Amino acid sequence: MSGQVLVFQLLNGIGIGMIYFLLSVGLTMIFGLMRFVNFAHGALYLVAAYAAYVVSQATGSMLWALLFGPLAAALLAVVAERLLLRHTYAMPHEAQILITFAVALIVQEGVILVFDPLAKNVPVPDFLSGIVFLGPFVYPAYRLAVVAVSAAVAVLLWFALERTRFGAILRAGSESTEMVSLLGIDVHRVFLGAFALGGALAGLAGALAAPLRGVEPFMGLEALGIAFVVVVVGGIGSFTGALLGGLLIGVVQSVMSSLWPEGARLMIYGAMALVLLVRPAGLMGRA
Amino acid sequence: MMRRRTLFGASAGMLAVPSLARAQGGQLQVAGVYSLSGTFANVGDLLNKGTQWAFEHYGNAAGQRINYTLLDDQGDPGRAVRRVQEAMGQGVKHIVGCTTSAIALAVAKEVHARGGVYIHMAGADEATGSECNRASFRWPGASFTAINATVRPFIERNANAKRWYTITGQYVFGESLLTNLKSVLQDAGHQHIGNSYHSLSEREYSGYITAAISARPDVLAICNFGNQTLDVLRQAVSFGMKRNVKIVVPWSTGLDQFQAWGPDICEGVYFGVNYWHGVEAPGNRVVQQVVRQKTNGTTNYLQACGWAVAQMLVEGANKAGSTEIPALIRALEGLSYEGPTGTELIRAEDHQVIKDYYLMLGKARSAMRDPADFAEVVAGTKAFQPPERTGCRMT
Repeated sequence: MSGQVLVFQLLNGIGIGMIYFLLSVGLTMIFGLMRFVNFAHGALYLVAAYAAYVVSQATGSMLWALLFGPLAAALLAVVAERLLLRHTYAMPHEAQILITFAVALIVQEGVILVFDPLAKNVPVPDFLSGIVFLGPFVYPAYRLAVVAVSAAVAVLLWFALERTRFGAILRAGSESTEMVSLLGIDVHRVFLGAFALGGALAGLAGALAAPLRGVEPFMGLEALGIAFVVVVVGGIGSFTGALLGGLLIGVVQSVMSSLWPEGARLMIYGAMALVLLVRPAGLMGRA
Repeated sequence: MMRRRTLFGASAGMLAVPSLARAQGGQLQVAGVYSLSGTFANVGDLLNKGTQWAFEHYGNAAGQRINYTLLDDQGDPGRAVRRVQEAMGQGVKHIVGCTTSAIALAVAKEVHARGGVYIHMAGADEATGSECNRASFRWPGASFTAINATVRPFIERNANAKRWYTITGQYVFGESLLTNLKSVLQDAGHQHIGNSYHSLSEREYSGYITAAISARPDVLAICNFGNQTLDVLRQAVSFGMKRNVKIVVPWSTGLDQFQAWGPDICEGVYFGVNYWHGVEAPGNRVVQQVVRQKTNGTTNYLQACGWAVAQMLVEGANKAGSTEIPALIRALEGLSYEGPTGTELIRAEDHQVIKDYYLMLGKARSAMRDPADFAEVVAGTKAFQPPERTGCRMT
């Protein structure tokens, strides 16, 4: 592999990594705050992608789709939290996994019933349908826009978590929910807010991914697998860890596509195993 | 998730595998092996519907009422074999369908060993080659056909496009496409300048596409199937590969994939398909009519393929005048009938159906005459290995 190709694969890997970050940050945030294992996270991504498909078909505008996709996912997260998931917070993780996985399957089968099992196309917005020349290589303009949006979301999220009262409550809640509760803060509302935010982030990832890969009913479970790898590599509950984990996994996958194509997917898990050997709690996780 | 659907016939509704043995006499028990969950569930569901609708349409075979049961293998060859063993243990001898080649190859051995007949739609050459047997029949053209019926006519039309790069799924079917492609390129004096393998679980292909772009090919061939083909082509087009590279997808399921891509991606891309709704043929008109009644839509390959394996069973039984296995197999060998692609012939030597395979070229959105008119048929070819070269030793 020439140096030029290597540099491009690195850049491409950063692009993939930013998308993975967006996909996983909601998952890690919810676990960090509530110690809640949410296997329905991929379902939120799925719902948003289909919402983006429906809205783009109805309006012809991907921009409306990008607005309604995250809203649909946030709404589903809120409804699921209020009706079902809040009753499972005290349960062991095994029960939470079973219940949220059931939610994911119900959503998946619901999508098949409403639509059908076949993949659908979500067109890239016209003004982003071209390519950008990066030296001898090209990069899709839409992909570049997704990276830019992901980076902007990362900055905004950092600001919200580190510089706002809501962020301070979330961070405090991840340390000790009892203490936060004793300070007079309604922890259930905080949990609900965190679920809505996590859902909206997963939804934004789903809506942004729809033009990249189309929509099909099984995309949620696929996304869930990658999201968990990123969260485990980055350290469960860590915002910075999700960013680093996403970038690491993206770069490994992209570079290995040239060095050892048939093992590129395997090396994602290889990288995870290596990180866990060196840092069992993940890159930014606390033991 | 396991779903089992009993579709019609006596004891419908309550019917499950244990009841199969009870339904005897004037009924023909047929089981379909499809994946209604797992990676290929989107494929399995439509294949199953095609089979179901065909049996509903025909109703009887050799005077016996058809009673169809679905066996959901969940995409797992081991589970498929176990489900078939259960069904055959209770008297079912007529099996149709598969969702992947691995499932078909495993089920074919089991059905043969237990004295049944199996009609399927596997894509791997081995099914009517080194792994052939007396009990198994295959409808679609396989990887040899797909490559020879697409790449050779493509080369005739694009003689200057000599440098080929491939992106290949590293599994039986992908390997089979790649091997055949290399052989055709060598024949034609064209150059295979590189290949990127990807795994069955891969979903992100930008790294492979970057590697392909850096090799500066004239042609990119995508050697895989299902949703992976969708993703590779979508991402290759998004990286601007259509600007200066011709793209060939030798194995496509046609309409359903074209709808998933949309015309902007399909335009100018070459596809190989086993079935196209626009082909004028009496058998195709029947399929189209039934599918339109059921879905109010246009027939796609998966529905047609599911239909075809059911039709073969019915045509064979009617010719034999019996559903007894030895008589049915004898009747199927050499049978000619009006199928979804025109007059189709079941070759006796390897049990392969000889039929057209189409090279298609994606149309511009402005050239589409109706919402399903995504591509034009460039060539229709019956490109099959001569029987003596398939490696089939009929047992």
